[in-house]
Amino acid sequence: MNVTRRAVLQQLAATSDAERKETTSIEALTAALGIEASTVESHLNGLEACELARSETGGRVRVTITGEQLLELDTDEAVIVDASTPQREY
Amino acid sequence: MADHEASQSEEAQPDEVQYDPMSSRYDLFECPECDNVVLALGRDEPPMSCHDKPMERVTDVEMSVKPPDVKQVLLQAFGLPKAGLDICLCVIGEGPLSANEVAESLGYDRSTITRYLNTLVDMGLLRRSELNREEGGVVNVYHSVDLERMRRETLIGFYVWAGEAAALIEDANVTKQDYLDENPDQELPELFWESFRDK
Repeated sequence: MNVTRRAVLQQLAATSDAERKETTSIEALTAALGIEASTVESHLNGLEACELARSETGGRVRVTITGEQLLELDTDEAVIVDASTPQREY
Repeated sequence: MADHEASQSEEAQPDEVQYDPMSSRYDLFECPECDNVVLALGRDEPPMSCHDKPMERVTDVEMSVKPPDVKQVLLQAFGLPKAGLDICLCVIGEGPLSANEVAESLGYDRSTITRYLNTLVDMGLLRRSELNREEGGVVNVYHSVDLERMRRETLIGFYVWAGEAAALIEDANVTKQDYLDENPDQELPELFWESFRDK
C-alpha cells in the first residue's frame, strides 16, 4: 500500500497536538495507516526535515505548529518547505 | 549530459515547420479589410470580428519557421532556465518536500533552489505562504497554483512575449520601409539589423 507523506502528516495531526505537546507512537501510526514501520519512519524523517513533525523522548512523535498550519492551508497540492527562512524580527 | 539532451531534442524535431490550417494545434485568422492578424488556441471559429466582419482563417502561408523547443521558449519568454522548470515539475510531484531534499534530488545548490522558488512565485507559477515556526520566526512554504490558473498565466505571459516580438518585427518592417523611402537609390545597409537593434 502506497501512503503519501501528506497522509502521514494528516494522521500525525489527528493523533497528536502541537500546542499541548501531545505525542503519539510510530507503532500507532503504523497500525492506523496500515503500512510498514520503516515507511512511516521514512516519511517522518522527511516531515521533520520540513519542521512539520518532531521526535520527542522515548521515540514518540508529534505534529508541530508549522505542520498544523500547513494542513490548515487546505491545499492538496504538493509543497516545498524552505526552513532556511530568516527569523521574523519583532 | 546537457549536450546529449540537446542533440536528442534536435534529432526529434523537424528542421522547419509551416502553418497548416487543417492540422495545426492553433489557428491564425486575419481581417479581410485590414492587416489585423490574430492567433487563437482551442477554437475552430474566428475568435473575433474586424471591420464588422468575422475574421478569416489564414490559408496562404509560405514562410517556414524553426520549431520552438519548450525549454528555449520558457527561457526566452519567461527567463526561466532549466533549473526553474525542474523545480516547478518537482513541486507538482509529491510533497511536502524540504528545500534541501529538492536541492539534493535535482543536483542544484540550496541557494539556487531558494532563488528560483521566489522567481516562480513572482511569475505566478507558485504560491508562497508563511507559516509560524515553534521556536519563533517563520517558514516559507511554496505550493503549486491551481493548474487551470497556471495554464492561463503561462499562456497569457507567452502571448505578451509574442506580442512584444511581433511589435519588434513590425517596427523593423516600418523602419526598413522608411529607409527605402528616404533612400530610393540605395540598397539596405549590410548592418541594417545590427543598427536596428540599437533603436
